[in-house]
Amino acid sequence: MSSSTAVSAAPSAAKWKKTLGDGLYTANPITRQILGICSTLAVTNRVDKALVMGAALIFVTGLSNLFLSLLRRLIPNRIRMIAEMAVVSTFVIVIDQFLRGFYWDISRQLGPYVALIITNCIVMGRGEAFALQNPPLLSLLDGAANAAGYAMMLAIVGIFRELLGSGSILGITLLSSAWYVKNQLLVLAPGAFFALGLLIWIFNVINPPVPRETEK
Amino acid sequence: MKDSSRILLFSAVLAVICALLLAGSTLFTAPYRQANEKAEELRNFLAVLGAPVQELRDSQELLELFTRDVRVKTLGRLTLYEYYPDSGGDAKPQAVAVPFTGMGLWGVIKGVIALQPDLRTIKSISFYQQEETPGLGGEIASDWFRRQFENKQLASADGQAGFRVLKPGGQAGPAEVDGISGATMTSQRVELMLNNLARSIAEERQHYVQ
Repeated sequence: MSSSTAVSAAPSAAKWKKTLGDGLYTANPITRQILGICSTLAVTNRVDKALVMGAALIFVTGLSNLFLSLLRRLIPNRIRMIAEMAVVSTFVIVIDQFLRGFYWDISRQLGPYVALIITNCIVMGRGEAFALQNPPLLSLLDGAANAAGYAMMLAIVGIFRELLGSGSILGITLLSSAWYVKNQLLVLAPGAFFALGLLIWIFNVINPPVPRETEK
Repeated sequence: MKDSSRILLFSAVLAVICALLLAGSTLFTAPYRQANEKAEELRNFLAVLGAPVQELRDSQELLELFTRDVRVKTLGRLTLYEYYPDSGGDAKPQAVAVPFTGMGLWGVIKGVIALQPDLRTIKSISFYQQEETPGLGGEIASDWFRRQFENKQLASADGQAGFRVLKPGGQAGPAEVDGISGATMTSQRVELMLNNLARSIAEERQHYVQ
């Protein structure tokens, strides 16, 4: 990411837009940065799981970016990473408790993957690469935009897998089992590799990566 | 030196803030989480008893069904959950559920077993809380493992209280099921758990009146 600009002046409108666009599309964490793949493979066999996981990541990445940015001049450099971990894991535990309290069924289906957001590279990556050099609100947007980019890809993979694997979307049957033979492969983990591989390929054809040396 | 005292101060303040946030969210969600865990337990009890839990929409209905059709009874050290599907019209319960717990390989295993009113024949079993290795010991929660228990006896052929989890592949007798390949430790611990259960049920069986 290019974020070496001075931080004193308020970010311009173009900068806001670029931050949003980068996270959602241009530098999408899944199709371009290939981060957070583990949970993408694990929780996308149904659309509702993918959506809840995406929402949880938007919450965690947005807030931890905001917090880290507020603290960015206070964090001693030598304990930078551990301080980031402390902030990230706090928010992850908060969202995990919340899901267990209010969305029990989905929390049970997501199993350990909500708690494993702590190890999701997108969260730490945005903290390190963006929040520590940029003002708080812009960092909040960056975190939320990247996580929304992640959520979007999860939803696309989820729609593909649930539709072909279970013949339904969000539990509503669309492909009747009378004439459609459900493809079990897409419900199981290997199906996620095919779906995600195809997705990354398609997005890289539509939006080819810019050669690195021309940057800035 | 100034640098390290700053690090200490920063870590201390950050730790306190994070701890306060965590304590706050834990306290706030605790009643809801506990209600959900309780409902999950009831759902498992009702499911092994053969109640139509699939038709239920929320935990409120679950609780209604439980209070209507299940009678909780203490028998010595055991707690029995008797199932009267016709709201107590029957003289005999259709099934009796007995919860059990024990140590697995990685953590506590909690389960519940449903027996016929003779307290000997197994109707079904569920391991609803376990942290065994996924794909190996974790298979105790899977249908193929649990279905083996149906219509088995919680006593061996010579009438002794006991239950065996065998090495897979053999011919399983009336008080035996096949264990799980690659999960010998879990299989042994499940066997121990079921033996303890069989023994305490055998001690209390003669005092049991419906």
